[in-house]
Amino acid sequence: MEIKEASRGAATGANAQAVRPAAAEVNLSRIAPTRDERLFLVLSIFIGVISGLLVVSFRVAIEWIGILTLGSAPHPGQLRLLFVPAAAGLLVAALVIWFFPGARGSGVNQTKAALYIYNGYISFRTVIGKFITSAIAIGAGHSLGPEDPSLQIGAGVASMIARRLRLSRQRLRMFAPIGAAAGLAAAFNAPISAILFVIEEVIGNWSAAVLGSVVLAAISSVVVARWFWGAEPMFRIPSVSLRNPQELIAYAVLGIAGGLLAPIFSRALGFLRPRLRAMPPWTRYGQPALAGLLVGAIGYFGFPQVMGSGYGVIDQAMHGQYVWQFLVALTLLKLLATTLSFSSGTPGGMFAPTLFIGAMLGAAVGTFEKHFFPHLTGTIGAYSLVGMGVLFAGFLRAPLTSVFMVLEVSGNYSIILPVILANTIAYLLSRSLQPVPIFETFTHQDGLELPSMEEQREELVLHLEDALRPVEVPVASGSDSIEAASRLVAGSRASAFLVQLADGTWYAMTAEELTAAAAAHSPSAALVTALRPDRTPMLFPDLPLESALHHFPRWPLLPVLNRANRSVLEGVVALDDILRRYRTP
Amino acid sequence: MSPLPANSAHTPALSPEERLDKRRLILRDTASLASLFAITAVLFVITWFFFRSFEHHREELAQRWLTRGQTEMQKGHPVQAVYALRSALAYSPGRRDMEIQLATALAAAGRTQEAIAYFSNLHDAAPGDGIINLQLARLAAKQKNSGAETQRDYEAALDGTWQGDGYTRRREVRLEMAAWLIGRHDFDRARTQLLVAAGNAPDDPAIKLQIAGLLEQAQDPESALRIYSAVARRKPVSLDALEGAGRTAFEISRYETARLWLERVTGHPEFSTRPEAERSANQDMLNISVRLLNLYPGPGLNMRPRAERVLYAKKTASARMAACAAAQPQNALALADLTTRWHQLPASPKPLQLEQQPELEESVMQLVFDTERATAGLCGAPAGDDALLLRMAQIPVAHDQD
Repeated sequence: MEIKEASRGAATGANAQAVRPAAAEVNLSRIAPTRDERLFLVLSIFIGVISGLLVVSFRVAIEWIGILTLGSAPHPGQLRLLFVPAAAGLLVAALVIWFFPGARGSGVNQTKAALYIYNGYISFRTVIGKFITSAIAIGAGHSLGPEDPSLQIGAGVASMIARRLRLSRQRLRMFAPIGAAAGLAAAFNAPISAILFVIEEVIGNWSAAVLGSVVLAAISSVVVARWFWGAEPMFRIPSVSLRNPQELIAYAVLGIAGGLLAPIFSRALGFLRPRLRAMPPWTRYGQPALAGLLVGAIGYFGFPQVMGSGYGVIDQAMHGQYVWQFLVALTLLKLLATTLSFSSGTPGGMFAPTLFIGAMLGAAVGTFEKHFFPHLTGTIGAYSLVGMGVLFAGFLRAPLTSVFMVLEVSGNYSIILPVILANTIAYLLSRSLQPVPIFETFTHQDGLELPSMEEQREELVLHLEDALRPVEVPVASGSDSIEAASRLVAGSRASAFLVQLADGTWYAMTAEELTAAAAAHSPSAALVTALRPDRTPMLFPDLPLESALHHFPRWPLLPVLNRANRSVLEGVVALDDILRRYRTP
Repeated sequence: MSPLPANSAHTPALSPEERLDKRRLILRDTASLASLFAITAVLFVITWFFFRSFEHHREELAQRWLTRGQTEMQKGHPVQAVYALRSALAYSPGRRDMEIQLATALAAAGRTQEAIAYFSNLHDAAPGDGIINLQLARLAAKQKNSGAETQRDYEAALDGTWQGDGYTRRREVRLEMAAWLIGRHDFDRARTQLLVAAGNAPDDPAIKLQIAGLLEQAQDPESALRIYSAVARRKPVSLDALEGAGRTAFEISRYETARLWLERVTGHPEFSTRPEAERSANQDMLNISVRLLNLYPGPGLNMRPRAERVLYAKKTASARMAACAAAQPQNALALADLTTRWHQLPASPKPLQLEQQPELEESVMQLVFDTERATAGLCGAPAGDDALLLRMAQIPVAHDQD
């Protein structure tokens, strides 16, 4: 719903944009056919740099607002903790409703909607609105993160640039994920994770057409971000090592804990968000304020750590500053606070809270194990780091990104085994308990039909071998006479047969074609002289089933060859075989 | 099939209008890219100023909270210090000095588990850091963890790296470790550490006196006496050193030495400023030493005074035995052997007789000592000269050393 509302105005603009290039394309294809392709790469760098600069400003704005509103060191008992998030919620709600309807939500689904529904269109107003409202909300203590908004800001920048250069509709659509990768890369200071996330969650597949630009934009934005923040990883990771393989059991426990917690988090959001959205429209002014008041209350009564993005707290937890009981409390309260903030429609992202919850959970497990099983050598930081990946895999359902993110933010490859183990456990457990991923849940709640990337990844691709049948049709040689071939076909009563030629190629001939050949040629003439010049395509059992479809208007059946020896038949397929296979569940 | 280039021979030539369109397009794209570049440059400058201003503010906040935290620690308010130092770290993450101060404040605030977790984590990052190992040792000692764990942490602190003042800090750690070992009554290990510390200590009377004091607590008064004596010989004379030397000499029954040091103690100008109990203790030790030396029939005496002291001892011990035997009927039975030995002695030996028979003198003194030991067991601790004779009996060879 929010995306619909946000994009109602945008759709008009998008269509207008779509018309303009369509009219211009006629000329462009003649006067500058390679223009878009060349501009695409140059603009990717601009998108990366501008996104990087905006994300740096965005993060600084969040911290400034935090200091100005909550003070330089918020602590329990300060009355401002109660009122500032509530007031910010009221202000943000008014801004979103009156000026920036596209700024609602996290930004990931909005970017996907831009890509799949609105031809890559994200308005300038949405970018500005996302920047302002998210900065106010997160800075004033709402339990949300800056990464998803950064992703949308990057996508918006890309969309604006592409429109300004009047690129084709197809290119315009491609720019949204490029900008998204740039924004996320700058926010995470981790280009590989950003690229992987965009591929896993936004694009859904490895498209060579866009991969180069995505990489270029992500690297450009990270270069800019590191120019300001330095080349250090996002989190100061203490030394991480796995000295004792037995410790993998402890990491597996962490994976199980994360796999159980992630569905709880998903269900909490899945429960509260639609209920708040179903309330009368006027309540939308008050929902972020009430959420802010409740989050502020958590801070006021002892846990200000749950307010805001919580990066500082993640750092402190990684460096063993809390006892495990406190870490468990932070885990649960952050889950509650984020559910309240996000469900109320306050602009802000889910990444940072997810990392926060995972880090606290990991640190709790690590601290507990260090206290009660001191022979285990893993540092609390290592557990905390793995915990972040665990929640990322279990909650956001981006397993590949989760592994690389941990490696990238830690800069330490030696933690790969625990990460893969724990993330896999969490991912599988979470999937079995909560089949629908969280972004898909939000999509359904918003009344949109965006492609499910998890389903796409796991979609069963049919191959020729799945429709293959044994070679029951006659097989003649090109050197055979037409008469011999006629006898062969007549004996089998087949409507078509295969001809193997001396150069290793094949030809599929129909009975009618053979009859015509017999009438036109001498019976003793070689069959090859009666064949048309084209040959059947080289098909192999591992090729996608659909790859054979477009050959059928020409050929009655197709030989499927052995890759090692193309004179050997693996079988044949006809159009009926393929259609039958598609019909079979 | 890749599309052919526009200027390919297979592509029809562009019409004049199309060429014009192409020029316009190139101009428009150039202008767009130039404006994009300008926007990027302006955005960069704005971001840079914004960022620099914020970083500067962060540094100020970090310093402000650090100063506040240190002040609170100095005032003895560790709870407030924890809050301030944690805030400082939020604005300057990774500052090792701040982290150590925060962990120390946590320990001081009684949040031992948090402090241990914090120091353990710092230890993981820098296992050879002296201060971190020392703090872990202190926390382990406070937690009353296994002695092995605490000792391991103390030893790691001794072997660890220290910034700048490693020599001094290692000595302090060694003395602290010795004090902890003394508290655990592990005197052998404590003595070892203290003797190492004494061997490496600088020529500083205060440090030497500290080590000597710990040696006394570690039940090694002889080593302590050596250090006290050495310090007491320095100018200006330290009353603490004199007292320590007198006390330890007295403790190991070197009464002559004790007398010499204690006479200097009582004659020291600062003696009168000491607390009454301390003065009284020193005076008592001196009196006992003097009286004991007057009683003792030492081999350095002339024969006559020596014989007279033996006879006095015999008379005193004999009276003590008679009194003890009379006090309880069963005592007489217990003292029967001694009574027999007393009867075997000449009833009233003359000094001359003792001078002529050194064996007799030795037998008398042996009987005196045996009597004092036995009566102390039966009739309680003696007083007066009997107590001094018993002291001689318990360490009869000690004063031979002087």
